[in-house]
Amino acid sequence: MARFLLRRLGLVVPALWLVSALIFALAEIVPGDVARTVLGPYATPDQVAALRHQLGADRPLVVRYAAWLGGFVTGNWGDSLVLHRPVRPFVFARLGNSFQLALVALVLVIPVSLALGVLAGLHEDRPLDRVISLLGLSLTAIPEFVSGVILLVVLGVQLRWFPIIAQPPPGVGPAGRIRYLALPAIPIAFVLFGYIARMARAGMVDVMGSAYIRTAVLKGLPPLYVITHHALRNALLPAIAVIGSQIGWLVGGLVVVETLFTYPGLGKLIYDSALAHDVPVLEATALLVAAIFMLSNLAADAMVALLQPRVRSSS
Amino acid sequence: MSDSHLQHELGQHLREELLAGRISRREFLRSATAFGLSAGAIAALLAGGGRAPALAQTPPVKRAGTIRVALVPPTAAVDPVTMYDAGAIAVVQQVAEYLIWAEKDLRLRPVLATRWEPDAQARTWTFTLRDGVTFSTGRPLGADDVIATFDRLTDPQTKSAARSNFKGILSKGNVEKLAANRVAFHLDRPFVDFPYLLSSTNYNAVVLPQPYAGDFEQHPVGTGPFALTAYTPKESASFKRNPGYWQKDLPYLEGVEFRFFAEIQPQVLALQAGAVDMMLATPFQGSQAVFTDPNITVLQTSSSKHRAVHMRVDTAPFTDKRVRQALALCLDRPGIVQGLFQGRADVGNDEMFAPIFPGSPTIPQRTQNYAVAKQLLREAGQADLKVTLTYEVYQEVPQYAVFLQQMMKPAGVTVTLDQMTQAAYYGSGSTQPWLQVPMGITDWASRTVPSQFILPAYTCSGVWNSAHWCNKEYDDLAEQYDATLDAQRRGSIARKLAVLQQDATPAIIGYWIRAPRAVRKRVQGVEPNGSDFLDLTRASLA
Repeated sequence: MARFLLRRLGLVVPALWLVSALIFALAEIVPGDVARTVLGPYATPDQVAALRHQLGADRPLVVRYAAWLGGFVTGNWGDSLVLHRPVRPFVFARLGNSFQLALVALVLVIPVSLALGVLAGLHEDRPLDRVISLLGLSLTAIPEFVSGVILLVVLGVQLRWFPIIAQPPPGVGPAGRIRYLALPAIPIAFVLFGYIARMARAGMVDVMGSAYIRTAVLKGLPPLYVITHHALRNALLPAIAVIGSQIGWLVGGLVVVETLFTYPGLGKLIYDSALAHDVPVLEATALLVAAIFMLSNLAADAMVALLQPRVRSSS
Repeated sequence: MSDSHLQHELGQHLREELLAGRISRREFLRSATAFGLSAGAIAALLAGGGRAPALAQTPPVKRAGTIRVALVPPTAAVDPVTMYDAGAIAVVQQVAEYLIWAEKDLRLRPVLATRWEPDAQARTWTFTLRDGVTFSTGRPLGADDVIATFDRLTDPQTKSAARSNFKGILSKGNVEKLAANRVAFHLDRPFVDFPYLLSSTNYNAVVLPQPYAGDFEQHPVGTGPFALTAYTPKESASFKRNPGYWQKDLPYLEGVEFRFFAEIQPQVLALQAGAVDMMLATPFQGSQAVFTDPNITVLQTSSSKHRAVHMRVDTAPFTDKRVRQALALCLDRPGIVQGLFQGRADVGNDEMFAPIFPGSPTIPQRTQNYAVAKQLLREAGQADLKVTLTYEVYQEVPQYAVFLQQMMKPAGVTVTLDQMTQAAYYGSGSTQPWLQVPMGITDWASRTVPSQFILPAYTCSGVWNSAHWCNKEYDDLAEQYDATLDAQRRGSIARKLAVLQQDATPAIIGYWIRAPRAVRKRVQGVEPNGSDFLDLTRASLA
């Protein structure tokens, strides 16, 4: 197991390096430039050129990348070119926000989707299965900006059950924060529900048809005992892998939800810094998200490996 | 202090013009304030020339509460010298003040300057500063601060966003200290509308203390009604009442909370849910819901905000004036205003004198006329014209592009649409499509004097002359317009400028967008503003 983890961890570092190089190159292709963002459309070309020079944005790409990389690995993440603030505390504050929203969404979606997925799998091709599968498919198919707007209008504007702005004012305790985050967590949960429930259902259908379950049933074990002690452990493996693969998206990919619910998370920060060519912020944020993506996948793999020794030995 | 002899003469002349019906009452007030006539003098002149302005009866106001404002976040670090976006401007306007504030009808209200007057050529302007004003640090406001402020804004070495406005009008080092509270601005050329350049309409022109290190976010010092107490980029800003504010009973509010929203839709929902009390700006596109909400009032004022559909006169097929005229004749302007804004815009006439500008000349309105359009195209040998229209994704611009495409079709013109993000459309360095494409739609923010459009976009040396149009006669007239104090002569020059530009049609100006500002019913004392500027000094909550 230790070797398995070490081998996988060893892949993370070169992958992150590749990501950083790709982002640096991509930021070059995105139209616009940082000096124009800072000075605005009415600045004269010589003012823009002077600021580009001052920011070092007119140096060759490779030189800029090397300078940035050197600073980053030695812990100097630099200042935002646009906001003139140190990158690290700014990005970490956003990371904390994103984690909170991801956590609320996961707490909301995992128990429900796993339970309903398992239930559907146990009732394969029967009405309950059809209802759950259809519900999952429908909810996943609704884009989060559509469900988000509907929820905002109904639960926020008309019924006033939830705050319309997800960022709580200063001094709100943990329970209060959950109330603020519940509304944006729902559309995210909608999207994830279908994936996770389908995986749990498929896993359950697969396992329940396998020989060792048939043996357990024929042995006369009570059905509930067979499900909880024999089937679940194997049936949930695909669902766990799916959850792991979604963590990166939950932390860094929620641009739409963060915009709609006015929530300062990492997704919006990546988007804004990409548009503004604020490379120090873009790189730091994207690398963090990439690292989280890789580590959460690794955690999911480790969990699968723990639950199923075959995976460990085969890889 | 009484008005000078020149001001007295100018005032009497304006009164005669008003009595003769040659200028409107609005033009009278606007010109009188621009010339720096005192309120007493204006009232006296009006008493002889018509009714004095009626003062609205206002109910007693509550001196408490914090107003919550929804607005777009500042794009970059907030710095009064470099700022250009609505978010940063609104933050700064609560903390720091201008010499003059331009009201929604473009009358000028004295703020840190109590009076101003031009010399006979409108080339030297003398400003008297208000006594008893202190910065939030306790330091009194003086002439040195004003000189430092405008030297900073006109300094080629700084990144001043106002430099383009002052270019050719005021150069660094030309502000002279006459006394501790008096300064003289020596202009590069006569400029009648100069007080506007020192007013809120030149949004960078807030008076900052003499030593300023460019660290407004860390040390937000100003003379304004509020003090910035907390600022988190992209999230929020908090202000509390400035206890040492020079207007003793103001502001009414205890505090102001800015909540930054990247998009309009969440702002609309927050306003409807009562999570905020007002929106700084309420562009019609995307905000339709607030216009029918019974809990919300939408304040509205005309503005000079517009979209210019430029046609490069140095690039075929637009080298022929008849082609440009033909395309402009395809537009059903009232239909566009109705379709894009449900009527909340004023019809444009392909020249730069927006209806909001007092004294704008009345020249024949260009209307849809396919017969003439086709004939012009035939004469130009372009009966089967194909053009590409490049535009940015910004507010209603994409829909406008589709309107243009559809309206040009019946004249036999095939328009290919080329859509870009705003960043790509403005670009940078050698790639700036908005200045390079043969035909493009560019968004122009509201300005207070026509020259602020004419000089950069339609004169030979204009830095944003997308149409590449150059007409010596037009340039000379523009210069004369800026230098003419006499209202009647100025009006006739304006008319010539408008006729010349409409005839040449370097750009189609289809409409002038009004500026709506949505507030909840309990908000009082907030005015709409053509440039979305925000003065909360007299705001209160019921």
